[in-house]
This record gives sequence, structure tokens and C-alpha cells, in this order.
Amino acid sequence: MTARRRRRTGQTKAHREFVSEAEEILERMRDELSELAEGAQEGSETDPDVVNRLFRSAHSLKGLSGMFGLEGMSELAHHLEDVLDRLRMGRAALDKQALALFDESVTLIADTLGGLEGEGARGETEEAIAALIERIDAWTHTPEPETGEMDGLGLDPTLLRALTEYEEHRLRENLRRGRRIQVVEANFEILAFEEGLAEVSGAIREVGEVLSTLPSPGEAPESQIRFSLLCATELEPAALAGRLGLEAEAVRQVGGAGPPAAAPVREAQAPRTEPDAGVAGPAAEPAPPHETLARELAEGAEAELDPAEVAAVERASLKSISDTVRVDIRKLDELMNLVGELAIQRGALKALAARLAADARTARLGVDLEKLHKGLDRKLQELQSAVLEVRMVPLRQVFDKLARVVRRLRLDMDKEVRLEISGADTELDKLIVEELADPLMHVVRNAFDHAIESGEERAAAGKAAEGLIRMEAYQRGNDVVIAVSDDGRGIDPDAVHARALAQGVAAEGIEMSRREKLDLVFAPGLSTRTEVTETSGRGVGMDVVRSNIATLGGIVDVESAVGRGTTITMTLPITLAIIQALIVSVGEDRFAIPLNSVRETLLVEPAEIQRSEGRELLNLRGEALPLRRLVEEFQLGRADREAKHYAVVLGIGDARMGLLVDELEGQQDTVIKPIQGPVRHVRGIAGATELGEQGAVLVLDVSALVEDAMRGKEAA
Amino acid sequence: MQSILVVEDSATMRSLITQALEDLGRPAKIDEAENGFEALRLLPRVPYALIVTDINMPDINGLELVSFVKQNDAYRRIPLIIVSTEGSERDRDRGLELGADAYLIKPFEPDQLRQVALELLDRAPAPGAEDST
Repeated sequence: MTARRRRRTGQTKAHREFVSEAEEILERMRDELSELAEGAQEGSETDPDVVNRLFRSAHSLKGLSGMFGLEGMSELAHHLEDVLDRLRMGRAALDKQALALFDESVTLIADTLGGLEGEGARGETEEAIAALIERIDAWTHTPEPETGEMDGLGLDPTLLRALTEYEEHRLRENLRRGRRIQVVEANFEILAFEEGLAEVSGAIREVGEVLSTLPSPGEAPESQIRFSLLCATELEPAALAGRLGLEAEAVRQVGGAGPPAAAPVREAQAPRTEPDAGVAGPAAEPAPPHETLARELAEGAEAELDPAEVAAVERASLKSISDTVRVDIRKLDELMNLVGELAIQRGALKALAARLAADARTARLGVDLEKLHKGLDRKLQELQSAVLEVRMVPLRQVFDKLARVVRRLRLDMDKEVRLEISGADTELDKLIVEELADPLMHVVRNAFDHAIESGEERAAAGKAAEGLIRMEAYQRGNDVVIAVSDDGRGIDPDAVHARALAQGVAAEGIEMSRREKLDLVFAPGLSTRTEVTETSGRGVGMDVVRSNIATLGGIVDVESAVGRGTTITMTLPITLAIIQALIVSVGEDRFAIPLNSVRETLLVEPAEIQRSEGRELLNLRGEALPLRRLVEEFQLGRADREAKHYAVVLGIGDARMGLLVDELEGQQDTVIKPIQGPVRHVRGIAGATELGEQGAVLVLDVSALVEDAMRGKEAA
Repeated sequence: MQSILVVEDSATMRSLITQALEDLGRPAKIDEAENGFEALRLLPRVPYALIVTDINMPDINGLELVSFVKQNDAYRRIPLIIVSTEGSERDRDRGLELGADAYLIKPFEPDQLRQVALELLDRAPAPGAEDST
């Protein structure tokens, strides 16, 4: 994650803007595609508006990637645009193949974007793009039906002048359906026309389609702007005007079904002047634009309006509608780093205050400083949570993506599976959410492909024909839990164990509990061959899922009942950006342990430690807590088994272990920084952190330690 | 100082156009509008010497904006450049028919845009000048 952020820094601002906008467009395209796919699934008519939006997205991508010299991407977007153009123009019909091509294109473009950030082989994507373009061409070359010309529609040509090709097509299409083509004219205050216009357009859309929106202020009073909306409905003009709350003459029929109403002759209805005719006489001369505002303001004053109010309206209307700001996540990282460094300074201040307070000569000063420190501490914490808050995004982003995948799978594989989602509003650090997409996708695909049985199998087992996958997220303390469960065939622990033995992934002759056997699905190297997946329902790349989640400081668990289904539970920290750490020491060496995984600390007498099969255990309120010694974990020296130790009880999810250390040195806010050099790949070390004057210490990777302890492995 | 209005819904494209126009070699104030509506609000407030617009935009499209500008006596002398991704030839022709003064295809070279812009800026009416044609 940090590595990826580092790679991005070499690029220009414009380039970053491009990538971020392109990502946004792709996200939108995915939404639009799933809307189309859903429509196709339900057998409803293709929504032209969705196709048009997709077309516009492809069009924008083409232009953007062209500007940045990305020929492959631009070319692919161009072909995509071509196909979409045919669809929106009614020259081709949407089919499964087209949908699949769209999906592949979006994925490939996303990959190409990823490649720009150094995550893919460029040559490969280029080849893939060329291959995909060939297939799009093959689809496009299916014969297309003829389309009629616009001539002979009997419509006033001045109305048609500003129509794009697409709008013209929609006009033709609506005429074909026998709808009435009408023009709605309405005036709006120029300072606030958007709301009014949106209202009218919305009301028209309830009964038909808005074909085009043409502004024409020359015909409206000074402070107003007139819009002519060309629309198609089945209603009579008078009925439409009634619905819109407009006077009858504001709506006139210009074509389509029924006898066109005679165009009411109105003063304002004078034919538009040709752009180059230059016939405007001095009488019709509108004020030069810069004078308009002054007059407007003057008129406002005449009407006894408070000028301040007018100015306020003005300011408000010039403001953009959205009040959100897009921020590069690296800027937030910088902020977080600053907060972290402030926290370190605060720590030093606290130590100084304590020293002053301990000396009788400076005690008063020390106490004052401590008070000051407390205030500073509170504000710092507020600042920290405010910055953290900004980084939080709802899991919905990822869940929606997964829902789309399931919908596509359902379509492609003809398998009845329902997806239930809850807790999509649960928030996590943006970087974690991003990194979650792949492992979650893996788990959901596994559930779909392998866990949920075929229709016949389900019927034979007396289950509902439709399978169920449930994604659930909720916050628990400082963690977020994400569970993916299915009602499929479940995993037989003995089958997994047998397979693991056969492949040498598990050792012979070691008695394993049901849990341990089940846990073997996460073992690296367990076969992905179908026999296993058929009988166990799992085992495909789950080791990758576990390591991905571990990188995020989380842990993944499996629970399953044969014939009833499986639940994969991921427990993740809410953020990686800043952590409170417990500082512990072993001899001269000090380590930081993220406090969110510390459940409690205990002082342990040597006599309390039990031994069983070479492992050390502690009886903690009736439960056997596996113990590890930090001194042995990283080969720091020999363990002194006669001395008292502190046990730090670590927990992630439901897993617990005790880590024996010499001393507890206190809590501290820390920012984890990635480590360069040889220490980086040591299992059990997550990074390093700065402790102010006391220098840097290593941060323990709790999820790795807990996992190792659970597996009962000996420390390397 | 002359003012230029850039109408473009893509933020990246908008800043590329603005960057190109900032290097004209003469001072110009550049206003950015994210869509046609914003452009409609800005037009009566600022005497623009040049408008640069995209065609494919939500709400009101570039052609509708061109039609509005070129059929309105207050604005029709403002030179207008369409900058659009290669697409429908018909839409391009329609834009020129409606009175656009130039048409650039994306991807464009910044120099190309600057050259056309300079040419048209010299033809632009001085702010506040009476329309005497």
C-alpha cells in the first residue's frame, strides 16, 4: 500500500488528476453497466438514457486518454463508444455478448490505469487491448438496420438546429411510438434558474421524455432566462401545461400524434434570427452584458430589496452546487504524519512536565505544565479523530462492486443465487477499503462457484432452489468485522485434512482439532483441484486472502457446517494511519504493540506457566492461553524461565495469545512507517515508529504473531 | 484584460485547456464553467472575449450553448471555439452551422489551441463596445 503510494509520486499533477478522473468515470460506467445488465436480466426494454450516459463516459475516456498519449486506451474507448453509439441510435440491439464486451473493456481499462501506476506489464495489456478491439469489431460488424432521415417529419427546422445526432434519434424514436412532440416554454429568474428548470424537466419526465433544453433569453424579460424544452409525451398540450402548472399557451405541439395544435401566435414567438444575418436593429439591442448586472441590482433596489440580500443570492448562485472537495489521499497521509509528529512532541512535553513536577523547586511549574499538557492532549485527540474521519469511507463502495460481480456471474453461469447485504454504511479507512476489494472478491467468488450447489443438488438436499450469499459488516470496538456467509454445501474438515495430508501440506501423525483441520483451507499450497473444491467447497487461493488481510493488520477465520454452509469472517482495524501503541521491552530492546489488539496485561509468576507438548500455556480464567516469549520470537537472547514476566494478551477476532515481555513502558501515539532494508521481510514485524527523543522502535505485527500461535508453529 | 470562458465537464480536460490558455503570451482572465448552466450564469456578468466549449455535456449540451450564444444579440459577437473529442461529424458540422468560429479535435496540441485563441481574441469586440454591425 505504502509502496503504491510511493510509486505515484513521480507523476505530474495533471497526470494524477487524469488517473483520478478516469477512475471516477470507470466507476460510473460500472454502475451504468450493472443497471443495463439488470434491465436485460429482467427482460425490460433497454433504457436509452443509461446507454447514452455510458456513451458519454466512453467518449470522455477517449478524449482524456488521447490527451495523455495513451493510444491503446483511447482506441479501446473509441471502439466502445462506437458500439454504444449504435445502441443508443437504435442501430443495434443490446445482447449478452455486448454486455460481456463492455465489462471486459471496463476491466481492461482499469487494468491499464493500474499499469500506469506501475502495477502491471504494459506490453501484456496492449496485446489484450488489441485482442479485445478485434472482438468488439466483430460484434460491431453485424449488419445494422437502416435509419430514416429527419426530412419529412414536418417539424419546424429552427427547433432541430441545436439537436445532437442522438437527440435527433430520440425525437425520431418518440415519433415512431406515436408520441406527441411538444415545446414547453418557461421563464426563470436568471439567478436561480436551475431549481425551476429541474422541477419542470422532472415533471415532464414523469409523463415522457425531455429531448432537448434550449436556453433563449433574448425573448425573456431582462432578469430572466427562457428555456424551450423539446419533449415527447402522450398528453395533450393543455393537459401537459396543467401538469406543469404553466399557462396553456406555454405548451404547444409541434409534431407527432393527433392534429398538431395551431401554434399560438405570441409576441415572443418571433422566428429566431439567423446567426449571421445581423438584422438586429438598435431597438432590439439588449444591453451590453456587463451592464445587465448593474441594472439587475438597480432594479432589485427599486423593488425595495435589500442590496445585501441581492448580493447574497448572487454569491450563492455563482457557487458550485456540490459542497464536497476531492482530496488526494496522500495529502491526508501528510496531515496524519503531522498529527503523529505533534503527538510525539506532546509526549516529550508530558515527560518534561513530570520531571518538573517531581522536583520540589519546580513542582508548581510542573503542575501548571501538566494542566496545559492535558488541554493540548484533548485537542490533539480531537484533531486526530477529525483527520481520521476524513479518511473514512463506507464499505458500500466495495459491496456494490461485489453485488455487480454476483449479478454478472448469475447471468453468465445460470445459477440462482441471491445476495444479501447489510452494514454497507460501516466505515473504514479508504486505503483499507481499497485493499479489501480483491480478497473479498475471492471469497465471494468461491462461495458462488464452489460452495453453492447446483439447482438439482439443492433440490435433492431439500434446500430452496435459490442459493444465498450474505455479506455483513459491523464495527466492534476498534475493529470492523466483515462476514461472508453462504448456505452452500459447507466444508468437511476431515476432507480438507485428508487432502492436506496427501499433498504434504499437513504433517502425518499430528492430532488436529476440528478447528485446526478447517483452518487448513488457508494453508499455502493446498491444491486448488476440483475434487477438493467439489467436496469441501473451499480451498481456492484462501492463503492469498489470509495474507492480504494480514497485510492490513487483520485476521480471517472460517466456520462451516457440512450441508449447511460456510462463513468467512474478516476482522480489520479501522485505520492503519495512526495507532496507539503499548511500548514493551525485552532486555535492552523495545517494541511497540498496537493497542487495539491488546486485550489486557498480566504479571505472570514462573510457576503459573504450564507446559504441554512443548508449548507454554497460561490458565486465564479457565481458558488455556497459548504463550510466546518475545525474547525467543526474534532471537534476542535466552529466556529467563525463573523470572517474573508481563503477559500481554493479544487478540484479533476470537483468537487470543499471550506475549511474555520483561517490562511494560507505557502507551504512545505512533505513526507506523514502512521499513527499508533487511528487517522488512521479518515475519512478525509490521514496521517501525518514531518515539520522539527515544528513537525508533519496531512495531509488532500482531496478526502474524497470533496466527502463528494459533497454528502452534514453533518460532522460526 | 480580456476574459475567456472555458465550458467543459471533465475537470482534467478543463485544467488542460485553462493551462494552455494561461500561456497565451498576453494577460487573460480565465473563468471555468463545469456545465452549460454555469456558463449561462456567467455570461451576463462578464464581457467575455472568447468562449471555449465542449459538446458532450450533461444538462445542456455544447450545441445548445452555441445556439444560445450565437442567436443572442448580446453575445453573438463573442468568438467561440468548440473543443470536442472526435465523434459525430454531423454534430461538428451542426456546431459550425450554428455559428461556432472554430472546431478543435481532442486530443489537441496546446499550441494549436493557443494559435486559434489568439486569432479569435484579436477579432473579439472590446468590452462594452456597441454592436454596430
